[in-house]
Amino acid sequence: MERAMRRLFWFFAALFVVLIGNLTYWQVFAAPRLNTDPSNTRAVERQMRVERGVILTADGVEAATKTQEDVYFFRTYPDGSLFAPWLGYNSIRYGRAGVERVYNPELAGELDILQITNIIDLVTGKPRRGADVRLTVDADVQRAAVEALGDRAGAVVALDPNTGAVLAMTSYPRYDPNTLESDWDSLLSAEGRPLFDRAVQGTYAPGSVFKVIVAAAALQEGVVVTDAPFDDTGSFTAGGYEVTNFGDEAYGQHTFSDALVKSINTTFAKVGVDLGAATLGRYAGAFGVGGDLPWKLGGETGSFPNAVGMDTAHVAQVSFGQGEVLVSPLEMALVAAGIANGGTIMEPFIVSEVRDYRQTLLQRTQPQVWKRPITAATAQTVSELMVRAVEEGTGTNAAIEGVKVAGKTGTAEVDEGESHAWFIAFAPADDPQVAVAVIVEHGGTGGTAAAPIARSVIQAALAQE
Amino acid sequence: MRTGNRELALLLPATLLTTLGFALLYTRGAQELSPASLVYGGIFLGLFGIVHLARRLLVPMADPYLLPVTAVLSTIGILMIYRLNPSRALDQALWLIVGLAVFVLILGCFRRHFSLLSDYKYLIGLLGIGLLLATIVFGREINGAKLWIYVGSRGIQPPEFAKLMLVVFFAAYLADVRELLTVSTSRFLGMAIPPVRYLSPLLLVWALSLALMIFMKDLGTSLLFFGALLALLYVATGRLLYVVAGVVLFAGGACVLYQIFPHVQLRVDIWLDPWVDPSGRGYQILQSLFALAAGGVFGRGLGDGYLLTTQGQPLIPAAETDFIFSAIGEELGLVGGVAVILLYVIFLYRAIHVAISARDDFSRLLAAGLGAIFGLQAFLILGGVTKLIPLTGITLPFVSYGGSSIVANFGLLALLLLASEQGARERAAERVPVVVGGGDG
Repeated sequence: MERAMRRLFWFFAALFVVLIGNLTYWQVFAAPRLNTDPSNTRAVERQMRVERGVILTADGVEAATKTQEDVYFFRTYPDGSLFAPWLGYNSIRYGRAGVERVYNPELAGELDILQITNIIDLVTGKPRRGADVRLTVDADVQRAAVEALGDRAGAVVALDPNTGAVLAMTSYPRYDPNTLESDWDSLLSAEGRPLFDRAVQGTYAPGSVFKVIVAAAALQEGVVVTDAPFDDTGSFTAGGYEVTNFGDEAYGQHTFSDALVKSINTTFAKVGVDLGAATLGRYAGAFGVGGDLPWKLGGETGSFPNAVGMDTAHVAQVSFGQGEVLVSPLEMALVAAGIANGGTIMEPFIVSEVRDYRQTLLQRTQPQVWKRPITAATAQTVSELMVRAVEEGTGTNAAIEGVKVAGKTGTAEVDEGESHAWFIAFAPADDPQVAVAVIVEHGGTGGTAAAPIARSVIQAALAQE
Repeated sequence: MRTGNRELALLLPATLLTTLGFALLYTRGAQELSPASLVYGGIFLGLFGIVHLARRLLVPMADPYLLPVTAVLSTIGILMIYRLNPSRALDQALWLIVGLAVFVLILGCFRRHFSLLSDYKYLIGLLGIGLLLATIVFGREINGAKLWIYVGSRGIQPPEFAKLMLVVFFAAYLADVRELLTVSTSRFLGMAIPPVRYLSPLLLVWALSLALMIFMKDLGTSLLFFGALLALLYVATGRLLYVVAGVVLFAGGACVLYQIFPHVQLRVDIWLDPWVDPSGRGYQILQSLFALAAGGVFGRGLGDGYLLTTQGQPLIPAAETDFIFSAIGEELGLVGGVAVILLYVIFLYRAIHVAISARDDFSRLLAAGLGAIFGLQAFLILGGVTKLIPLTGITLPFVSYGGSSIVANFGLLALLLLASEQGARERAAERVPVVVGGGDG
């Protein structure tokens, strides 16, 4: 009987050993798979326990902050749609976008550095604490851009030309990330595509703002000089295509400088044809149009048509920004910034620093040179022409008392409806602190619709100095 | 150390565990330590202190390890229940007091009249069967199993008590006939089979287990009865043949039931692949596995698991009862889960130790039977919630929420201690030392 009893005990002991083995399998070996199982709602819950870092503007405003209820953290955006769409969202149902997506490892504390500093928390199973992300965006400049654009579809980008730091960036229609989940269906079906970031993803015909690139190319290549004489009859035919000026104007005798200041299409068509498709294409690329935009948040880039096999008519069209050339507002802001920064385009960036919850610096973005399309001398020349455009040309609506503003208007004809209104600018021209690109979809002329917006943004940016 | 002091020394950490646990859970909500958080610990100390004294007085020579183990198990249980549903924890605490009272009562009644249990075996057995029949007739079906009888608003689960009575009956009956069972008088297909007349009560119980499965739709309880019966048959006769025959019989019955009853098929199908219907039939077991995975090695910490949804509902259905181990696994991790499993192993070890140290057949078989049914119950539910075996809805002894379960298990503990005391007394007369784990003695 004793032997049977001992066997009974060992039988049960074996059962319990199997039980422990099985438990170990679930809690250790299968755990990673189970934790990420699609039907496991705990993943969501785990996310909510992470004390997600805040996103601060350069001037210390909390663009995205956390509120705590019991052990859960909720994301809130105190300024509503102000920083949308690029700030993004952190939704349990719809995932992440923008800065919230790209900087999620840092914000959620998943960064390698954080795991080392948090190793004790990791072992004890404490929820992670994310790092804070500091933006280059200034809340006041951002507000100025948002208010100036108002409820017109379009986009505004403001950069520091010396570093590439984004000072403001907006797109309309936008959305409020606070109510994203309840608004989701209507956001998806809305005609104005509020989730779409026009500033980065929107590609438009540049119209006359493209003349800045053509002028820079022509001057750099020595095809023209600033006071080269031109005669405008109001019409120029290239490859069977008739180029006319905006409003069918005829400017008569003028210099190349006047052509940029007054935005004379016929002259630019002539210069463009002289330059040729290949050179135009090379300079478009050199200024970053259609290149690999080093933009961490992702997005589309514009495009310049293939120079090979491009007929003269098309070359003439492209020379004043029509035809098949497409650019995004961010790209045009970078063009303006390149002229402002002596021919050197800096890589654009929107996050300056990442710090953990103890304020230890984890990452700092170092300004990087992206492209050098033209020499400082050429940049200086183009800059002077752009100053004249604001002082006496098409861009007078961007003029600011006591500040030398350099700018260029664009009025891009589109297939349907009013033209898109463009304006690119930087200021002060002799020591540029801000470069701006504005587009108002179907806004009419750049000088009336877009230039005043650029003016407000420049004023706000210079007021921060 | 004297036996009684050893028990006291082990009860103190158990009480400390309660006090710390409640303090932890209280401070999570209140941000500060209030005297209320220490009250539970104090009550626990008082309760087990009294029970300890009663045991010292009533059965002074009984095993000193069993009571502390149950104290720790019921502490963990009450903490987890408090964590999930504070009002149910109060309920459970009251049932715990009732359980301890029943424990003391049984010790008091039978310590001088232990033989009454074997003398009145048929009465006790009939009472057990009566309880089961009453459940079949008057029972109410809850969660697909007909286990409950309602007295007023309170539900009791008679099978929990019937379980003990039937073990007493088996033990006493087998103690009487075990000699006869080992003597084969006839042969069937070349195998020696014992006289059928001595086997008939056992066959009756086998039939009853199947009836239970059919009428109560309760796989777990019938498996428990049957398992305990097989364990006792084996211990009594030392013959594996009985076990093999029993397993074959049960497996045969189970196969037939699988074919006939959709609810049995469902249980097995979910066990095989819960991912087929993760938000429906497979939801409960998957939530259990997700909870275990979330706990990992060290757990998320007491009070820090995701046991309740934001609406305050338990994420795992039946988290306080059948699935309490999943909640433990999440908050206390693999470390805590293995600790709980080891507590059951220790309990079982001590039960078998009691069985081996006992001198008379009834005490031996009673202790072995109680140990077997206890161990089997723990294994069935632990294996069920960890997807080792198909899920059967039974409670985790001493831990799960449930008045009948906790009272019945304290009854089981009392019977074990009585057998232990009985053995110790007889051994004191003989002066024989005892070893359990030392191989086939």
